Amino acid sequence: MLSVLLLVPIIGAAIVAFLPMGESKRLRQFTAIIATLVFAWIVYLLTQFDLSNSGFQFSEYLSWVQPIGLSYSLGVDGLSMPLLALNGLLTWIAIYSSRGDIERPRLYYSLILLVNAGVSGALMAQNLLLFVIFYELELIPFYLLIGIWGGKKRGYAATKFLLYTAVSGLLVLAAFLGLAFLSATPNFDYNSITTEGLGLTTQLVLLTLLLVGFGIKIPLVPLHTWMPDAYVESSPSTAILLGGVLAKLGTYGLVRFGLQLFPETWSLVAPGLAAIGTVSVVYGAMAAIAQKDIKRMVAYSSIGHMGYILVAAAAGTELSVLGAVAQMVSHGLILALLFYLVGIVEQKAGTRELDVLNGLMNPIRGLPLTSALLIMAGMGSAGIPGLVGFAAEFIVFQGSFTTFPIPVLVCIIASGLTAVYFVILLNRTCFGKLDNETAYYPKVLLTERIPAFVLTVTILFLGLQPNWMIRWIKPYTTSVAVNPTGLQIAQVETQK
Amino acid sequence: MTQVFSQTIWLVPCYALIGAILAIPWSPGIIKKTGPRPSGYLNAIMTLWAFCHSLLSLKEIWGKAPQYLSFGWLNAPGLNITFDIEISMVTVGALMLVTGLNFAAQIYAIGYLEMDWGWARFYSLLALFEAGMCTLVLCNSLFFSYVVLEILTLGTYLLIGYWFNQSLVVTGARDAFLTKRVGDLILLMGVVALWPLAGTWNYTELGQWIQTADVNPTLLTWVTLALIAGPLGKCAQFPLHLWLDEAMEGPMPATILRNTIVVSTGAWVLIKLQPLFAASPIALDVMIWIGAATAVGASLIAIAQIDLKRSLSYSVSAYMGLVFIAVGTLQAQTALVLLLTYAIAMALLVMSMGGIILNNISQDLRQYGGLWQRRPVSGICFLVGAASLVAFPPLGCFWALSQLINTLWDAQFFGLVGVIIAVNALTAFSVTREFSLMFGGKATSTTRRSPEGLWALVLPMTITMGFALHLPLVLSQLNLLPDWAEILTPITGALVGSTLVGTGISAFIYLNDNIAKPLNLPFKPIQNFFAYDLYTAQLYRVTIVFVVGLVSQIIYWLDRFIVDGFINLIGLATVFGGQTLRYNVSGQTQFYVLSIMLGLALFGIALCWPWLPHVSLSFIG
Repeated sequence: MLSVLLLVPIIGAAIVAFLPMGESKRLRQFTAIIATLVFAWIVYLLTQFDLSNSGFQFSEYLSWVQPIGLSYSLGVDGLSMPLLALNGLLTWIAIYSSRGDIERPRLYYSLILLVNAGVSGALMAQNLLLFVIFYELELIPFYLLIGIWGGKKRGYAATKFLLYTAVSGLLVLAAFLGLAFLSATPNFDYNSITTEGLGLTTQLVLLTLLLVGFGIKIPLVPLHTWMPDAYVESSPSTAILLGGVLAKLGTYGLVRFGLQLFPETWSLVAPGLAAIGTVSVVYGAMAAIAQKDIKRMVAYSSIGHMGYILVAAAAGTELSVLGAVAQMVSHGLILALLFYLVGIVEQKAGTRELDVLNGLMNPIRGLPLTSALLIMAGMGSAGIPGLVGFAAEFIVFQGSFTTFPIPVLVCIIASGLTAVYFVILLNRTCFGKLDNETAYYPKVLLTERIPAFVLTVTILFLGLQPNWMIRWIKPYTTSVAVNPTGLQIAQVETQK
Repeated sequence: MTQVFSQTIWLVPCYALIGAILAIPWSPGIIKKTGPRPSGYLNAIMTLWAFCHSLLSLKEIWGKAPQYLSFGWLNAPGLNITFDIEISMVTVGALMLVTGLNFAAQIYAIGYLEMDWGWARFYSLLALFEAGMCTLVLCNSLFFSYVVLEILTLGTYLLIGYWFNQSLVVTGARDAFLTKRVGDLILLMGVVALWPLAGTWNYTELGQWIQTADVNPTLLTWVTLALIAGPLGKCAQFPLHLWLDEAMEGPMPATILRNTIVVSTGAWVLIKLQPLFAASPIALDVMIWIGAATAVGASLIAIAQIDLKRSLSYSVSAYMGLVFIAVGTLQAQTALVLLLTYAIAMALLVMSMGGIILNNISQDLRQYGGLWQRRPVSGICFLVGAASLVAFPPLGCFWALSQLINTLWDAQFFGLVGVIIAVNALTAFSVTREFSLMFGGKATSTTRRSPEGLWALVLPMTITMGFALHLPLVLSQLNLLPDWAEILTPITGALVGSTLVGTGISAFIYLNDNIAKPLNLPFKPIQNFFAYDLYTAQLYRVTIVFVVGLVSQIIYWLDRFIVDGFINLIGLATVFGGQTLRYNVSGQTQFYVLSIMLGLALFGIALCWPWLPHVSLSFIG
């Protein structure tokens, strides 16, 4: 069942790369169909997903290279399933929103499909080595996507991205090797690895390796500097995949391999993690306020929003882990919408500079609908209720509050700072007077709006009905929580 | 008797939402044939129907005990959020006020925005507001109250930003959003902190919980203080009051709502939370102090304004301050009556003023005069509104204020009694000043041609006036009037006296052509202090705005030059090292052999390191 999610995009990528398909738009159509198939399959899996089962489902196992303990072992649970769905949706969006006249379309579309397969593979892998393979495999397509189709400083950004994330992969690999050898596990299968026999120092070292490794990917302050460059220099489609999907592998890894494999040590390092998360949140928001380029502003906002996930994961209560996963999904959706809209603004108005843009709400010569959706996306990111960002952030706050009250309060303040830079962004771009001399913007076509509509509807729907998001996550969180929630503490106390 | 309407009362906010969505197709460029106006008519019809629905429900539940409905919203481990609804005479009555005033404002907008192109957006936002306020009134849960307040904050931003290409509008919208958000987020902190303590956000259950709760008093104080912050921002109390003043850049029909019921949403939450506050004396004290400071301060600022709309907006803050005092002294019932009577009076004032501003195209009080002959209907409406706003028997606010002041007197809050008398006198002074400057004196070049407005402006205004005049009867029907015995006291006399004194002095100054206007106080700094809103905006600019801006610049600088700079330095060092070292590669075999030998030697030393000390060096010597 799950192999379909790997095979279809890989075969699709091969077809796109090697079979003659004609012009660029046909290629896009074909790739979009592949992505639709993959997404449809994920939706089917969602319907088949057993909501009462907290373990891995749809498991597949094939012993592959036994001597080194590598097996082809797949499975999904409440942590990976929502992220798989996010990956499927955003890949489709990225393909659909690629420019019709893109250069070297064969390579481009096959790389995007490979990215999809790679991320799916990493999310489904139940073998540590298999995870690393997929995790590292991601680098090459992304390096090329940034380096070939990026902006002016694409070479710099792509190299920086590659170096950083390669280090990330190495650290993760080192941690996994150490984990397997020191705990004397015969293979790298997720289920057979435990940290129980390991000493505290060993655990701490291994966990630190993992934290730094995944921390680069997320990214956490101060390991983040590859990220603004990579996001800003890549095309909107690549940015959507980078920010919406790839960064999630970092948080996914943190929860899957950090929190789940090191439950006791996790509690030890949790206060530090919460502090780093909080610093990221404030740092990202503050740095975003100082930006003059709207894409860079969105990129820094992403640092802040990923910080919430770390705080929630550190708190480790049922509710906060639920919030962490929900925030991964919500951040992916909102960031994708923001990057998409910023891309439209750049494409139509020809600039991303806050000081140049003005009055896009103008109904005749501006971009009124794009502005309206941009307001929606910005407010979603700022955590206005009714949109998915609030639902996720609220669960994060509520879930982490009993464990880390002060970091949570700081995070709430920082979400006010989020509002500050989004108001700056909206006031400068959407409000104000349109410059009559320059404002002859091309119309935004209906087909160009469809991705934005799809994302907006999803963001709104999940914001109004968050149950539809968390129902798939819930079974998982019961199995991982290391701390009781506040209400449970209260109940225990009253029973005494 | 069937309860079709009251059981489906949750549809009332939905009507407004449907209206909001239905209006969108009339945005520019989608439906071109009809022009944008149908969006307005549609919304007015939806609101009228919402009003009728509330009316029919009120009839059904008349005299009955409150009923509660509950819908599940979020079901997570340790967090079960339900959307609770309270159907009682109070909530449905408030619903009628909300939908009724919305209907009036929407009809008013038909006239006021006659020439505007943005009807679809405007009516959508008005309807969003209506939906939000209806939800807030109905919901019986602190969590959803917070949700609605936050959505209303966004709505305020967009509605103030309606004429978005004017720079003052843009800054006004920004400040409104951010100041209200500050309040909302502190409220959110309170909401989050309350859950682990109480395990519920239902107002009724919270009230029961606090009776028996065993909570650390310090913690409870902090939580309650946080809970005050949300209403504080909404009600435009010190120190979060400056948004309301800047919000006056928005269109007038929205101002009708904002000055009356939107600010009251905060007070409504406050009233709902009163049982909680009652358990924390410090919270009550803070509430009273803030209310009193705002009431007196804002009344003084109102008098120093030359902008008509802004002058009125500070009276709004002042009256919300009185509501804070009422809740702070645990008089929820009086606070509710005050909100009702205040809302009607203020709506009437704003409506009558709006029509005048619309066709005189000025908000500057100094340019007005002599409108009484030209616009008697507006004049009468303004008078009735002003009389209903201050303690002028037998109109609306008199009852609420006299009950408030008598209870305060009995409870020996003598300072607060003084505050209320002072605020009443100052407000009477202020509204009389506005009236005199607009309607009294001689006509100016601005007001020479000033006919009454379109029917859509006059009709809602006169109907509201009729309602304001009948409000005492309505109150007596609802059994909301205090007993005569209770309020026939010298204090009430003093209150009414203060109205007369305020009005009298103001009329003497401003209806008197011999006194030069604008009036200059002998000591200019004091006058400026109030005219410039206690320099609040400047204060924020040099403190919080400056700090946030500076810190963000510093962090960004650190990010570019320290964090990223360090990484780039490593990269540079690597590249540089590689560039330099390549000159070592000479191509001579001897060099390679030497380096291999050196390497081997070092490796050998490293391997033998532990045994080196034991090696005897005697053979050398």
